[in-house]
Amino acid sequence: MKESTLFLIAFINYILSAFYYLFFIFSKKLKLAKTGFGAAFVGLVVHTSALLLRTFKSGHAPFTNMYESLSFLSWASVLAYIIIDRRFKIPKVGAYLMLIVIALMALASSPLMPKEVAPLVPALQSYWLWLHVSVTLAGEAFFAIAFITSILYLIAESRERKGQASKSESNAEKWDSVSYRCVSIGFPIFTLGGLIFGMVWAHKAWGSYWSWDPKEVWSLITWFVFALYLHTRVVMSWRGRRSAIIAIIGFLAALFTYFGVNYLLKGFHSYV
Amino acid sequence: MKSFLKFFSSVKLAIVLFLIIAIASILGTLIPQQRSLEEYEVRYGQLANLLVRLQLTKLYHSLWYLMLLFLFTLNIIICTLTRLSPKLQRVFMPRLEKEKKNILALKIKDSFKNNADLATTRDEISQLLISRHYRLQRKENEKKYFLLARKKILGWFGSDVIHLGLLVILAGGITSGIGGFRENLSFYEGQTLPVPQAKFQVRLDKFETELYPNESVKDWKSTLSVIKDGQSLFSKTIEVNHPLSYQGFSFYQSGYGLNWENPMLEIWVKKKSDASYLKKVQLMVGEKISFGDKELTQISVARFVPDFVIGEEGVVETRSLEPKNPAALVEAWKNKEKIFSGWIFYYYKDFARLHSGKESDLSFELKNFIFSEFSVIEVARDPGVNLIWLGSTILMIGLFLAFYWPAREFKVILEESQGKTEVIAGGMTLKNKEAFQSEFEKIIEHIKRKK
Repeated sequence: MKESTLFLIAFINYILSAFYYLFFIFSKKLKLAKTGFGAAFVGLVVHTSALLLRTFKSGHAPFTNMYESLSFLSWASVLAYIIIDRRFKIPKVGAYLMLIVIALMALASSPLMPKEVAPLVPALQSYWLWLHVSVTLAGEAFFAIAFITSILYLIAESRERKGQASKSESNAEKWDSVSYRCVSIGFPIFTLGGLIFGMVWAHKAWGSYWSWDPKEVWSLITWFVFALYLHTRVVMSWRGRRSAIIAIIGFLAALFTYFGVNYLLKGFHSYV
Repeated sequence: MKSFLKFFSSVKLAIVLFLIIAIASILGTLIPQQRSLEEYEVRYGQLANLLVRLQLTKLYHSLWYLMLLFLFTLNIIICTLTRLSPKLQRVFMPRLEKEKKNILALKIKDSFKNNADLATTRDEISQLLISRHYRLQRKENEKKYFLLARKKILGWFGSDVIHLGLLVILAGGITSGIGGFRENLSFYEGQTLPVPQAKFQVRLDKFETELYPNESVKDWKSTLSVIKDGQSLFSKTIEVNHPLSYQGFSFYQSGYGLNWENPMLEIWVKKKSDASYLKKVQLMVGEKISFGDKELTQISVARFVPDFVIGEEGVVETRSLEPKNPAALVEAWKNKEKIFSGWIFYYYKDFARLHSGKESDLSFELKNFIFSEFSVIEVARDPGVNLIWLGSTILMIGLFLAFYWPAREFKVILEESQGKTEVIAGGMTLKNKEAFQSEFEKIIEHIKRKK
């Protein structure tokens, strides 16, 4: 089977999964959420084989251009969701996450993204490409889930405040705690992949571990935002609303590091 | 002094600094850094001077940004130290809690009466905690028993280890900034250049550019020899991502260049009146070659450009250093009379731009140009880099301790009265309270069930 076919099958599974999850939210039937999870899982398996196939065909890591890295980020987000859902049982997050994943996959399959396998420029020919990009995106996938649970928190909290839901119904506390858990998983991974592995590779390829390149600066900013999240939470006992807003800003900063820097700012990181 | 310490030990300062540094850094990604004043004037007009004066154009190396980083460093140091000594005392010289009310003030706690005597209850709890890898400290007096059980105590120091890692990284950055240097050197094959600040030289033995089938660059490879006192010590082929390191100096393949200083040009001379007439000459710019022909006694090339373009003021320039439109300015003489002066183009044979001279029977073609490639190699010495790796390792250990090595602590007081034992237990942890809560409840349930 061709890679593009596998990609399409995975995409369709994600769409199905999103539908089931959305029906679950409206009908509250847990069975629908389970089917949604199943579809997401099947999608992930097919997507994995698409990525493997591309890796074998191109001979390099499947994240060297925008199409590849969008596809990989979708894959990592679904994987992170499946891991977190096993532990915390958060089917509601599934609906929103699958919508984000569908948007990423749609963007990846748009005709604007060149899909052919291109040979690697000299600077990317390194095993650090694997380590740096995959670990960073894995960290960002957890930030994405924290982003969704933070939004869910804000919605739940405002319903609670308006008296539309009781404390036990709104689940606000749960969203707050899941956000925190996701940040505490994502933060060390992001630090390792984005900042430390990035420095090691920059040192090997460019001769300088830190060049104040816009992408470097923006990942530092992302790191600072999540450091702020953790300090306000652990030392100053901020919870709820304020924490949720910082986590949302943090994910947006990560997103800008990933997309915005490439399209809006110029620098060394002009590969993806 | 006291207020100074108080100011720098506050987490609020850290939060304010997080925000200021983040916002300042964003500014630096919006304003292009380290460009020429002219470029800023084109971009920002009258604001350009202000930007330069505020050092916003070299923001990350500006005094005020370094000042912010300095405050941040001070903040980390003082914040960590002021919290460290009570923590050290707490972790390494723990006190057994003897007041019931202090245990009952903890968030995770329970108290109940157990239908067993003190010794039985004590042994049960101890064994349970030991099997869960807790380390125990205990004290017994008369009818009371005090217990402190802890595990993963290093988790207490997660944040301190993270801060230490950050300080080492910052120290590495300072060391790099003060003691480091980097410079691009251009080597031709066979050329030996002295390495700045070093006692040895480097020779480029071989340079090659590898291409993919579609002509894009696959890799540049330079074979370098380290030369000391006129002797070659060793050679290594470097490429992008695979530098050479020797005595604290590193050599990186950073690119290549084409040398247009003195290309060898091949020019063909033809005559319109005689189709069989063909003369080939090879010459360099500035060289005058004598020609054994009545009509044409001498030929020379006055200029050569790899990428011909007529600039703003009507002057011929080269648009790039790539051979996209190579052109030569050829001059030809018949004895003392200049009979031809004009540009001829490699890609456009028939398009001879005549500068002067009459209609001529002769035509000139630029047939070939041979130029040399040079390898651009970055030489760098970075004495801070090992500190960076050390700091990064410490940082990751700290993150691991802080997030995945949660310290847990049980405090228990047992008191026997009339054959029964009153159990007062409390616990605390730094991270993942839910998991600890369930462990706590499991242990308490276990004791309650064993009646």
